[in-house]
Amino acid sequence: MTVRLRLALTIFATGVVTALGVLVTVAIAFQRFEHESVYERANAFLGRVVALHPDLLDLQARDADGFTGFLRNLLLFEPDSQLYLLDAQGNVLAASGSMQPAPGFKVRLEPVREAVAVAGDRRRAPYVMGDDPEHMNLDAVIAARPLHRSVIRRDAATAGYLYLVCQPPSLNVGHAEVYRSTLAGTAMSGVMALIICMTLCAAWIVATVTRPLRDLSDAVARAQRDGFEGAPALDGAAPAAGRDEFAQLRAGFHAMLTRLRAQWDALRRLDQFRRESVSNLSHDLRSPLTATAACLETLDRRWGTDPARSDDRAMLEVALRNTRNAAQLVRSLGDLALLDEPQFKLQPMTMNLAEMLDDIAMRFADRAARQGVALRNDSASQASVFAAVDIELFERALANLVDNALKHTSPSGRVTLRAHADGDRVCVTVEDDGSGIAAHHLEHLFDRLYTGEAARSDADGGSKGLGLAIVKRIVELHHGEVAVRSEPGRGTAVTITLPRDAA
Amino acid sequence: MGSAILVAEDQPDIRDLIALNLRQAGYDVTPVADGRAALDSQADRSSDLLILDLMMPGLDGLEVCKALRAKGRATPILMLTAKSTELDRVLGLELGADDYLTKPFSMAELLARVKALLRRADLMRQAQQAHGGSTLRNGEIEIVVARRDVRVRGQPVELTALEFDLLLHFAQHPGHVFSRAQLLDAVWGYSHEGYEHTVTTHINRLRAKLEADPMHPAVILTARGAGYKMRDAPA
Repeated sequence: MTVRLRLALTIFATGVVTALGVLVTVAIAFQRFEHESVYERANAFLGRVVALHPDLLDLQARDADGFTGFLRNLLLFEPDSQLYLLDAQGNVLAASGSMQPAPGFKVRLEPVREAVAVAGDRRRAPYVMGDDPEHMNLDAVIAARPLHRSVIRRDAATAGYLYLVCQPPSLNVGHAEVYRSTLAGTAMSGVMALIICMTLCAAWIVATVTRPLRDLSDAVARAQRDGFEGAPALDGAAPAAGRDEFAQLRAGFHAMLTRLRAQWDALRRLDQFRRESVSNLSHDLRSPLTATAACLETLDRRWGTDPARSDDRAMLEVALRNTRNAAQLVRSLGDLALLDEPQFKLQPMTMNLAEMLDDIAMRFADRAARQGVALRNDSASQASVFAAVDIELFERALANLVDNALKHTSPSGRVTLRAHADGDRVCVTVEDDGSGIAAHHLEHLFDRLYTGEAARSDADGGSKGLGLAIVKRIVELHHGEVAVRSEPGRGTAVTITLPRDAA
Repeated sequence: MGSAILVAEDQPDIRDLIALNLRQAGYDVTPVADGRAALDSQADRSSDLLILDLMMPGLDGLEVCKALRAKGRATPILMLTAKSTELDRVLGLELGADDYLTKPFSMAELLARVKALLRRADLMRQAQQAHGGSTLRNGEIEIVVARRDVRVRGQPVELTALEFDLLLHFAQHPGHVFSRAQLLDAVWGYSHEGYEHTVTTHINRLRAKLEADPMHPAVILTARGAGYKMRDAPA
């Protein structure tokens, strides 16, 4: 859920709750006013009745049947009320309604006494709620007056009560109408309009306040998607700082992005410069090295048959070997610089890697035989391990690995090649039982020009350090991984894992 | 007098050394300093072999190569390059060079390549004469040697010069297993460690063009641990 939505919902919910609160308050006040006016009227009516007929209890005792009619006559002008005659315990003696309570039916006396007390002193409460014998589940506004039997002394014990129940408004069509017209009609629509207005206002304010936030998150998303090289992530010049937190955040982000971009550009320029330098250097060194090597070779051939020159020839051979090593190193450096170029493209072809291992094994067969090393391709005889690879480069990577394995394997050792498919990946392993690599060298094995303890042996003139770096780069270009497992004295296994449709 | 070789190289030291070594080996060498001079020297009389530096001021090696091929000259060309990327451009894109050497190279290697190229040109001429009018057949594959025309199930197939030479070599020796080194020697005309992948690449391309299912080749077969062969021609 976005911040914007959350804010809007919060404001909307607050509005709704406030509006409901207002409605309830108004409804309660209205009802209270209703009850008060009803009670006022009922109380006055009872006062009049009791003043006119102080001997109601005697009347009822004399003629119980005629008393009901008498009560009804009293109520002719009070249609919303029912009159009851109660004895001192709250038993209903007579009722004006069409529904006559069963003999012995009782109403609670506390509200009756309260009503009597309120009638004497209006400050106690605005109105009283009590039992309605016709609807015992609902309380109604009541009024009551104490009655005395054969009145001689007014202060004699109360013998009963005249009890008036005002009909609850839900039973009264007129009241419901009043509610609808006043509350639902006017108040409700007013309140609804207010809520809608507030929500729209809130939405607008939230949108305005959170716009910078949204701009910022868009900018971050753009920067993440396009990197620093994409279009400027925040448009225009740096926004004016200050004002609010959003503006400050925005300004901060802009500054950070500008700085990062500058650093990134600097790094990229540096990297490009490095690559170009290495490439140019490698290129420029080739001609002089070719010329030097050619001179030495020519001399070597000339002196070849002259026994007097044998010392000179030994020196010449050292010079020639070193020149060739330098040449090899220069070539590897140039190749690596080339493979590092961002625009370098593989030329992938689908190829059976088990077959490629056969070819490699054949290519190194002579050298392995001279060294007394058993070199063989252990892939299953009908293995079809197809993957899309750049044949030249991938074979080069494998050759570098085999070359390395042969260098570190002593006579009567073995070098084993293996290719197998593993789900949507293919694995190629070059394994030897040679000298192995110490654990602390393993993680640097593929670093450029890192040669472990057996530093630049004169046999490879230091090119070994680049050989594995080239392997790593080639595998990276194929979106694969290289893993090394090695134990000093036990041997080394290098595994290249490629996705089936690399590149 | 040995074969006539033209050397076009803008760096005097290297040009002189190449010329010196080739003369010692008994060849008739004409050294020039740029592409324009190389092209001019071929105007009235073709050399037997051209050695061209790829990067020369004015007309570079590739342009000389293209210009000569456009004139229909089949003179073998050995290209000298300083960057290994250009190898693919020269051979892979078939712009007309027959072989290439990356600087720095050794003179022994250069001499071996020159010898191989001249021998190959010679062999090709002989093969052309021997099989000139003939048509080779192997199942659904049909090769008209003189027209360098290949059809599979009657449909013409576009092959590059090297792909054709490779196929022709296989077709002339059906059932015979060749190692990659032997193919390099016989078809490309040189045998030098480190270039075997070229053979693999071309065999892969040939399979893609000839085989019904290149993943399970039926025409150009792999003899595991030995090399490649073409199936025996079906009776």
